[in-house]
Amino acid sequence: MKRDLMEILACPLCKGDLTLTVDEEDEQEIITGALRCESCSVTYPIEDTIPNLLPPDIRTEK
Amino acid sequence: MEAKNGDEIKKAVRELYGDIARQHECSCCAPPSEVDSGCCSSCASETSSAQTFYSAEELESIAADIPSLGCGNPIALAELKENEAVVDLGSGGGLDCFLAAQRVGPQGKVIGLDMTPDMIDLARANAEKLSLDNVEFRLGEMEHMPVESNSADVVISNCVINLSPDKDAVFGEVFRVLKPGGRLCVSDIVTHGELPESIRESLVQWAGCVAGALKEEDYLEKIRQAGFVQLEKEEAKVDPYKEEAAYNLGASIASIAVKAFKPA
Repeated sequence: MKRDLMEILACPLCKGDLTLTVDEEDEQEIITGALRCESCSVTYPIEDTIPNLLPPDIRTEK
Repeated sequence: MEAKNGDEIKKAVRELYGDIARQHECSCCAPPSEVDSGCCSSCASETSSAQTFYSAEELESIAADIPSLGCGNPIALAELKENEAVVDLGSGGGLDCFLAAQRVGPQGKVIGLDMTPDMIDLARANAEKLSLDNVEFRLGEMEHMPVESNSADVVISNCVINLSPDKDAVFGEVFRVLKPGGRLCVSDIVTHGELPESIRESLVQWAGCVAGALKEEDYLEKIRQAGFVQLEKEEAKVDPYKEEAAYNLGASIASIAVKAFKPA
């Protein structure tokens, strides 16, 4: 995920802002990390550059 | 199998399209063989529907063999301009996203949303081949779009909204994320007439783009109810489904293209 795409992102549940935490990043994009919605108390993982913004009940089904 | 609730439908859809992404040799959304009437049934062979709906120039501009699972060409409908922000619902292998990314240019951006992890992987692999900087994919649901309100100029979708068990939520979310004056440009499957209940309740038929299809007038009404104005409907220029109208379904399915605007 590229940093400049952050501005258009929102929590899928409350549509509020997300806070980014980066674990691993190269010169182009964030490779692993997390997006956190404080108001919903939900953390959305970024794995292998892809943010997983599925609602939590669906995410666990995979 | 009966379609009891939305979660079952989503699971069936995710499973089918996950399988397709993994095989990815027949890219068309041809459902399992017991269904003769699915979306893209015209391409039940191993060809993708890309050749049917996209011009040779469009496909050549994407120097990669990316299949289409669609039933139309929302890019042609969208008339994208430089710098626009585009969201693609059900981005699949990424074809529409890549075509959009070329049109909106380096200052524009394209976000492909798909709820199937294997499709996102496939799209990412294709994106790497094309080295486009302005397109990104994320896992998400169109009923719960992870996109800020009033942030997109255009929402496109190709043969996907029919798969949703909650189309009101989808059109409501599209309306929310569009900027005032923004536009929805969608190709989708609709029915002319009522499908029999045996079809409606089949999860296989749902995942194959048939059971979830609404009657055309109901589909358009749901778009209006979400708040959209200036609806323009185009019959698909190429509509392979029409030729196969007599499915013994008691109704025919058709591909339509709809453009609608959020009031400015």
